[in-house]
Amino acid sequence: MNTRLYLRWTWRDLRARWLQVVAIAVIIALGTGVYAGLRSVNGWQRRSYDASYALLNMYDLRVRLTEGSYVDANELRAALDELPHAEWITAAEPRLIVPTLVEANDRETPILVPGRIIGVDITGGGPAINRLHLMSGEPFSAQTDPARTAIVEYNFAAYYDLPAQGTIRLSGGHELRRIGAALMPEYFLVIANEIGFMDAAQFAVVVTPLETAQALAEQPGRVNDLLLTLADGADAGQMRAEIEQMIDAHFAGTGITIMAPADDPAHHALYSDLESDDRFFRLIAYLFLAGAAFGAFNLATRIVEAQRRQIGIGMALGMPRVQIALRPLLVGVQIALLGVVFGLLLGQMVGAAMRGLMQDLLPLPVMETPFMARVFLQAAALGVLLPIAATVYPVWRAVRVPPIDAIKSGTLIQKSSRLAALLVNIPLPGRSFTQMPLRNLLRTPRRTLLTLLGIATAITTLITLIGTLDSFLATIDTAEAEFYQNHPERMIVTLNSFYGVTSPRVIAVAERPEVGRVQSGLVLEGELRHSGETIDVALELIDLESDFWRPTVVKGTYPTGQAGILINQKAADLLGVDVGDTLTLWHPQREGLFSIHMAESEVPVSGIHASPLGYLAYMDQSQAALMGLAGVTNVLYVEPAPGATQDEVQYALFHLPGIASVQPVSHFTEVFSDAMELLTGFMAIVAVAVTAMAFLIAFNSTSINVDERAREIATLFAFGLPIRTVLRMTVIENLVVGTLGTLVGIGLGWGLLGWMMRVELGDYMPEVSFTVTLAPLTLLIAVALGALVVALTPLLSLRKLARMNLSATLRVVE
Amino acid sequence: MIELQNVSKRYIVGPVTITALDHVSLHIAEGEFVVVLGPSGSGKTTLLNIIGALDVPTEGSVRVNGVELSTTTQAERFKFRRETVSFIFQTFNLFPSLTALENVELGLDISRNGRNGRQTAASILASVGLGDRLSHLPHELSGGEQQRVAIARALATGNPILLADEPTGELDFRTGVQILELLQQQAEAGKTVLVVTHNREISRIADRVIELSSGHIVSDGAPRGGKAPVHALSW
Repeated sequence: MNTRLYLRWTWRDLRARWLQVVAIAVIIALGTGVYAGLRSVNGWQRRSYDASYALLNMYDLRVRLTEGSYVDANELRAALDELPHAEWITAAEPRLIVPTLVEANDRETPILVPGRIIGVDITGGGPAINRLHLMSGEPFSAQTDPARTAIVEYNFAAYYDLPAQGTIRLSGGHELRRIGAALMPEYFLVIANEIGFMDAAQFAVVVTPLETAQALAEQPGRVNDLLLTLADGADAGQMRAEIEQMIDAHFAGTGITIMAPADDPAHHALYSDLESDDRFFRLIAYLFLAGAAFGAFNLATRIVEAQRRQIGIGMALGMPRVQIALRPLLVGVQIALLGVVFGLLLGQMVGAAMRGLMQDLLPLPVMETPFMARVFLQAAALGVLLPIAATVYPVWRAVRVPPIDAIKSGTLIQKSSRLAALLVNIPLPGRSFTQMPLRNLLRTPRRTLLTLLGIATAITTLITLIGTLDSFLATIDTAEAEFYQNHPERMIVTLNSFYGVTSPRVIAVAERPEVGRVQSGLVLEGELRHSGETIDVALELIDLESDFWRPTVVKGTYPTGQAGILINQKAADLLGVDVGDTLTLWHPQREGLFSIHMAESEVPVSGIHASPLGYLAYMDQSQAALMGLAGVTNVLYVEPAPGATQDEVQYALFHLPGIASVQPVSHFTEVFSDAMELLTGFMAIVAVAVTAMAFLIAFNSTSINVDERAREIATLFAFGLPIRTVLRMTVIENLVVGTLGTLVGIGLGWGLLGWMMRVELGDYMPEVSFTVTLAPLTLLIAVALGALVVALTPLLSLRKLARMNLSATLRVVE
Repeated sequence: MIELQNVSKRYIVGPVTITALDHVSLHIAEGEFVVVLGPSGSGKTTLLNIIGALDVPTEGSVRVNGVELSTTTQAERFKFRRETVSFIFQTFNLFPSLTALENVELGLDISRNGRNGRQTAASILASVGLGDRLSHLPHELSGGEQQRVAIARALATGNPILLADEPTGELDFRTGVQILELLQQQAEAGKTVLVVTHNREISRIADRVIELSSGHIVSDGAPRGGKAPVHALSW
């Protein structure tokens, strides 16, 4: 066999249809490029996370004392030495972590946000575990008097573009010299607390020498946090048990939580994000590749049909079937290779764009972004296999046709599908040429179906992506409506410890002229447990008879003056409980001034509240005795006095001692809204790619149709039918396919969206009841793209139609 | 009705210029049945295409039914084809997704003669002997039947000039004769019929035979031996 002849021959086949070939190659490129680019990002993220956590010596175990508990640092160190396997501990770092408000005045508008002071041992130049990675400024070791210095967390500093050095003020008016900004393993992704999410703009972490933090918190010599690294081969489970026993023995009544790196909120979010991102990226890439497959199948079928007589001649000449099949198959291979080359280039571009996005969004000490050869190979394999597979079926069919049939020409090969024949007996409205679009669609049902599916694939991708955004926003709206109710000006003042409701610090808040109404409450971290299921909650104890604010109960009743808890429907579903059932509440219980431990209580479910956030649970303030916290508060709900603004309240309270944060209630939804903006940017990029794919699929199909029906179109022209009428027929034909494809796409997209929100995000954020919805604008975009853009694609054939050589086309014999 | 003055048509294919028609002049009167005869490459289809406004001459004047085609715009040529000429092709060029009846209706619709289209189309099909094949799709019809549908479609336009390019080329003798008979009837009914063929036998039934060779008219007049009836043909 003359290989070079075949290659030349197939190259000519490609050139004859170069526009369609390029269109398919670009669709394949979109699929392989998106696959390679997005999945590379996933690999880069994993490598960068691993390397960054290793570089900064992330802890193996972290011991957190329950909020409000403190122990003596020296006693804690001594107790550690007495552990049965003390030799497993390679390093121990006691820390003091206290909430605060942070003010930075480097810019015209002062920044005032809640934050956290982390006091660390700087004798070795800085913490040995969870090290600081200095991004700007100087380390503690370079200071002659580090006592009044602080290093701020880099994401906060970068968000506000703070200079490397300056000053910061903390609650109570304490001022520190800011000597630098650093990345820290616990805040690679800034998550303020269990219910936080991407808080860089809203939360400032300030690292100070341990003694400084102890002085600021008025807890001299005490700590409430311990980081440990363990030797290779150490049994972390055994070490946990020994630490729990040690705390019981040495610090009776003190509650602790022992965490592994996977329990760290940022660590958990970053790594679990990798899994869900990977599934999400793969889904998008597969949808693109499916679109490419449909398009490639259409083109391959058309090429094979156009070669039908030549295949017949080959058969008549006695060529083996394999040899006959080689020519169209080689075309498939060439399209595939072209698509893959484009795709790999596009993958590099997507990767480069994502690399930049990654560095901007998530700065890490180590960024590893090598060429991901394996991912690119997988992308290339998919990109090559799909069009070849799409070519095989039509080729297989073509070489099975008896030579005498294959070799027929002209009228002898005219055929119509059974579907078109069915229409014969169905009266259709309009003139004969207005009926033709529908008949033409049914005449080539396979191509119609594949085009329809291709468009549906694009719309499915679009609906899934934008629907995710719509659903997030709808969920935020629901949460916001519940937070606001009739008091959108409401603010939440978090105290840095528990105070009596009539203590001077609480009274001081109420007496500020900027503050109007005040209501005290308690916010405690805890867990709800039932039937083996556990969910973390932020438990609020508030006056459930108040007309200031209380959660809306959608089922059951308010447990006013009695034991009972309000949870949301998602939490009830996860725990398998309903109103009237009893669940176990794991909650803090105070026993002494600095001694709070966790305890279990059985609590009936009184009702279901309206918030979509399942980590919110409410009890009546009267039940504080259950936690040993009767008459005390750690959170105040305030409203600005008439004429005062929220900013004025924030500044007024900042100067008061004991205030950890002052935030408008809108803050909780603003954080999500900020995150949505990032998502919107990503969605916009994919939406452009999806539009390109839908357009290319429609263009290809139209182009194939115009080619295939050239003789019919020429006949219409020969009879004097104007170009615009022929064009209108094609537009109607595309409008029908586009509309059907859009409807199918919307249906499939809706199903996929539901699956994404309930199953995928259900795994990632199990405590949130997402509202699965599609905004009218999304549907409009889908229709505009799927029906209108597709319908208008034939306008690109105008030039081709206007320049058609009628006399030559009318005599074409295929 | 059809007037050509010094019409030439040249095609440039790469470095080569091919002259399909070379200074052809002729006049065809209304109601004439004219056969244009010539071997392959003689320029007969080019002549037909220029008369039918599918193509424009490189030089010369073409006036058909009062319309000067050599200087018309594309839109005017479309209008001319819609109102003046109807084509019958060797390979029929029927629309495969339309039934016989609908193909004829299409002719009516295009020429905007579509009132009572269905009945009119049915009666035209009946007039070409296909009254019982109305709802058949083209691939369900024989070659002869398909060509009769094509003739019916051409007749449905009501245009005064029928242009047939090798109308019997795809047909057997018996069917071909039937088609020619139909075309002859149209001429007798007052239409101008121009048939292009390479088959000399067909030219025997024409009122006039124009013979082309290498783009030139080599003869123009009544058939040799006089006009023969259709049943006298054989090939």
